[in-house]
Amino acid sequence: MGIRLCQEPQLENPILVASWPGIGNIGIIAVDTLKGILGAEELGEIEPWEFFYPKRVLIRKGVLESLEFPTSKFYFKRMRGGDIVFFIGEEQPTEGGRIYAEGKKAYHMANLVLDVAERFQCRRIYTSGAAVALIHHATKPRVWAVPNSESLIPEIEGYGNTVLMSDLEGRGGHGNITGLNGLLLGVAKKRGVEAICLMGEIPVYLQGLPLSYPKASKSVLEVLGHGLKVEANLNTLDELDQKVQQRIEEFYQQIPLEIRGQLDRLKQASYAQPVEPGPITEDEEKRILEDVENFLKKRREGS
Amino acid sequence: MSRGYSVTVHQEPDLRQSSLVLGWSEDAGDLGRKVTDYMNLKLKGKEFAEIEPETFFPMGGVAIKDNVARFPESKFYACPDHELVVFQTDSPSAEWYEFLNSVLDVAERHCRVRELYALGAMISFSAHTTPRQLLGIVNSVEMKETLSQYDLNRDVDYQTQPGERPTLNSFLLWLARDRNIPAVSLWVPIPFYLAAMEDAQAQKRMLSFLNERLRLKIDFYDLDQEIKKQNEQLARARSRFPQVDDYINRLESNVMLSEEENGELIKKIEDFLREGG
Repeated sequence: MGIRLCQEPQLENPILVASWPGIGNIGIIAVDTLKGILGAEELGEIEPWEFFYPKRVLIRKGVLESLEFPTSKFYFKRMRGGDIVFFIGEEQPTEGGRIYAEGKKAYHMANLVLDVAERFQCRRIYTSGAAVALIHHATKPRVWAVPNSESLIPEIEGYGNTVLMSDLEGRGGHGNITGLNGLLLGVAKKRGVEAICLMGEIPVYLQGLPLSYPKASKSVLEVLGHGLKVEANLNTLDELDQKVQQRIEEFYQQIPLEIRGQLDRLKQASYAQPVEPGPITEDEEKRILEDVENFLKKRREGS
Repeated sequence: MSRGYSVTVHQEPDLRQSSLVLGWSEDAGDLGRKVTDYMNLKLKGKEFAEIEPETFFPMGGVAIKDNVARFPESKFYACPDHELVVFQTDSPSAEWYEFLNSVLDVAERHCRVRELYALGAMISFSAHTTPRQLLGIVNSVEMKETLSQYDLNRDVDYQTQPGERPTLNSFLLWLARDRNIPAVSLWVPIPFYLAAMEDAQAQKRMLSFLNERLRLKIDFYDLDQEIKKQNEQLARARSRFPQVDDYINRLESNVMLSEEENGELIKKIEDFLREGG
């Protein structure tokens, strides 16, 4: 089990950007979109067999022709301000039926990603994912940023539309990042590589739906573009967002009127930075979260 | 590829050029377990090795089946007179790659296996009166050619559908090919209303092929008696419950039942057979 590189280019001052599927596929859509816009070349992959169960078999005329596994691939793109290495994993290595990476396999994969980052002397790593927040889907999602070193905080404070954990009401700068997004930050810290996780906000009532949330991917990409000094046309994400918004609206109309009425008030509010005196009090926030959770629970039970 | 090894060998088997037959314990119709049990009984299979469970199965207690606590088992039996290895196992729930490589390690290192047969059952929406056909999926064109003289459907086309994953048999065939071990996964359809019970006809279909291919010379008299008994029980169910007869008549005429009707037929047949038929 290891890494297979199909080429070994000399990269200049590279940054590695990593992503996996997760809530709303926010991170992977952001990174895959950027990779596509920049036309990155394939660099190599992590051998999948020990991490994943096969995803597809092809049998033709009674002969097993191929067995495909989820891929975990590296790509690279030469850029003026510093090259970019992409890592895109089709699945997170899980154990015991969990959704997000956890355990020995996940730790091993995070180390393999870091091995590649160090082999090409990447000076920084970005990971990206979702932040479940009490926001409305009509509002522009912000990006929660978590660095693995205090020294990165001033830089993050200069990014637009971004919040640190300490900016979030009631969190006191604390929280968790589940799965490989978090693990990679930790492993990078252990190895002395700076890393930042960028998480696009997704409304709390959409977290369990089998829908992507490209609006947040766009927010992540705007911040990532700033960090990478890359300007990219994100029209494709707008088009994708328009299609998804229609399905979100259909789902939104299924939410009981009373809860929806409260959620509508979020259009003017921000969970992270309530305007004082805010349109929604702390108690009301709590009640909305409870109501939404009850609704989602009933919906899950019903299906 | 690196290979893990989690096997305890109790006794080295005396095998020089053997074939390995693998059966999964939780198959539809309990097919894998019944067929491998039957082979071990008839061919005097003797346990010689096992795969230790802790890496591959959740160790959170025991399951209870038919009033008895069950613990995951993955055991190898040798039948030296027939150059045969029988491997009966529960389906691992983790570390599949290591598990299947452990099977192949035992096959290569301790049994000098030259061919591998992985058993499988699939749910069929046809009546129990429909003859069971046997399907074979191979991991090499050569193996397909080798099997051409047998009554076996060798021309299956299939690809994984959305929401599905390949079977462990496919994973095993793929790994066996990597080691140049010719392998076939054998599939027999089980009528859906017998999937949670047993299907003696399906067992016989599978065993007949193995009997012929591996020259085992098994006498199936007792299994034929079981088939007869099950057919009689199902005939009684049809005569006692007109609704059941109607459903099976429709299946025999290749008419699909609704989901609700399928559920009703399953319940009636299972209840009837559990009560002794």
